[in-house]
Amino acid sequence: MSSHREAPEISKDPVADSTDLYAFVSPDKPDTVTLIANYLPLEGPAGGPNFYEFGDDVLYEINIDTHGHGEADITYEFRFHTQLPNPDTFLYNTGPITSLHSPTWNRRQTYSVTRRDGRGKHRLGEGLICPPCNIGPLSTPHYDALAGAAVHTLSDGSRVFAGQRAEGFYVDLGSIFDLGDLRPFQKFQVFAKGAGLNAAPGVNTPKFLNVHSIALQVPIPRVTEHHRPVIGVWTAAKRQRARILDFEGTGHVRSGPHTQVSRLGNPLFNEVIVPLGKKDYWNTQRPVHDKQFAHHVAHPELAGLLPVLYPAVFPRLAALDKAGKARADLEAILLTGIPKGIIDGFTNFTGPVQADMLRLNTSIPPTTPNPSIFGLLGGDAAGFPNGRRVFDDVVSIELRAIAGVTYKLIDPSYSVDAAAGELTDGLTPADLGGPYLSHFPYLGVPYDGYHHPS
Amino acid sequence: MSGIDDSASVPAGAGRERSLPSRRSVLQGVAGAGAAGVAAAALMNAGLPAAAAAIAPAGAARGQAREHTAEPEPVVVHIRDAAAGVLDVFRGTAHIQVRDKELAARLMRASG
Repeated sequence: MSSHREAPEISKDPVADSTDLYAFVSPDKPDTVTLIANYLPLEGPAGGPNFYEFGDDVLYEINIDTHGHGEADITYEFRFHTQLPNPDTFLYNTGPITSLHSPTWNRRQTYSVTRRDGRGKHRLGEGLICPPCNIGPLSTPHYDALAGAAVHTLSDGSRVFAGQRAEGFYVDLGSIFDLGDLRPFQKFQVFAKGAGLNAAPGVNTPKFLNVHSIALQVPIPRVTEHHRPVIGVWTAAKRQRARILDFEGTGHVRSGPHTQVSRLGNPLFNEVIVPLGKKDYWNTQRPVHDKQFAHHVAHPELAGLLPVLYPAVFPRLAALDKAGKARADLEAILLTGIPKGIIDGFTNFTGPVQADMLRLNTSIPPTTPNPSIFGLLGGDAAGFPNGRRVFDDVVSIELRAIAGVTYKLIDPSYSVDAAAGELTDGLTPADLGGPYLSHFPYLGVPYDGYHHPS
Repeated sequence: MSGIDDSASVPAGAGRERSLPSRRSVLQGVAGAGAAGVAAAALMNAGLPAAAAAIAPAGAARGQAREHTAEPEPVVVHIRDAAAGVLDVFRGTAHIQVRDKELAARLMRASG
């Protein structure tokens, strides 16, 4: 998936597992940017009695590079605290939760937000309450309004939300991880063809599943430097290095500095680009050190696999791969941003430092009312890989880029395979279980456990 | 934020001496042993004078020290290399590395 369970070690630590990162100029407030970091992959809505929550022992960060050096100039820290008013019941709630202060709600989380920048640390908010999980119509009636009350204004005027949301990422995992099959193209796929499978629509694996989101909406001047509208964004989760399970004392012992266990910039980077033996290591590294992974971007394994899995469909990609030429197009998209002069009127270049960050040119206004889910490949400069909006079809965009569509940008003599520009896993936002919101925090109302699965 | 891996903002080196547990507190807290290393948790206030032969802020914690708190903080010690006497000492949000062959040997003996 985008980054759900993308590495062996973090797949066993879901509260620290970053799943998706979004960064975009807010369509309804274009003087702000919205940053959303998702955690806890593949939440089943009916996951009681212990419903999903953030980790009290995890330090969550959203990092922003304003200088193009692959390091954080601004960091927003989020720390959570769980309260259990009544430890003598097994119930998450003892009646309907009608407000964020409802006494029937028995396990709740609050959090603090701290900003670190060149002027020090600034506590922007504390005691901010998360909404409960969406349990069902009896426990959490009027959930939309309940969660809406959990959008808080911070001391610097930014807005924040932390809590459960509907999964907004759509992907046909069941097909893709079955030997790289894409259902719409499976009559060309070597194994599927052998099995007699014909073209079929995609199946949205995370449909009706939830995630936990940390969302910030910040005035653009708060996250950019003067005359530098392009920012690099990544999220990180950290744990203290030492932990002792102490069931005899007052609680488990955690000690030592926080060390990074998960990070995410561009979608699918660790999942598809980084080889299995390096994925856990990648999660511990900061973007500034990503030059060590640049070889995997310049020579992506998937570009070599596509012509093998789809014989005779990608002859030009096969030749490009065989020639051993570095994929400077992918290096630009994923590691430096796209310099001026490549695409008319567009750049999100941050400089020569190779670092996996989601790069957003904040000077490009949001595309309304008809944005393209294919982002820049669809002629919509406000979408991925210029940041990432909640609805961008990053699976198709990256498939097409890896298949050679973007190589033509740096080598105009390259002739793109006809199928490359059509690649898709067959899904669009219409395959979600519910709509996105038109306002902050943009990801939809989480699915409740009473109705899902139906 | 360059190079910062944690939220501790105390100046480099501050509190380093105080963050080191005494041999007594470490030995009192011995919790278990393994073939490759021993982890010892001293679950008491470890504010006694330092006794190790050498101290250095370690790896990712370089430039950091624990944040001051009024509550006693647990101390966790990991014997990284018993033969060389290298111990990782974790306390609060700090990590220092101690080189003390005698202390490492005593912990190993105490761990069985």
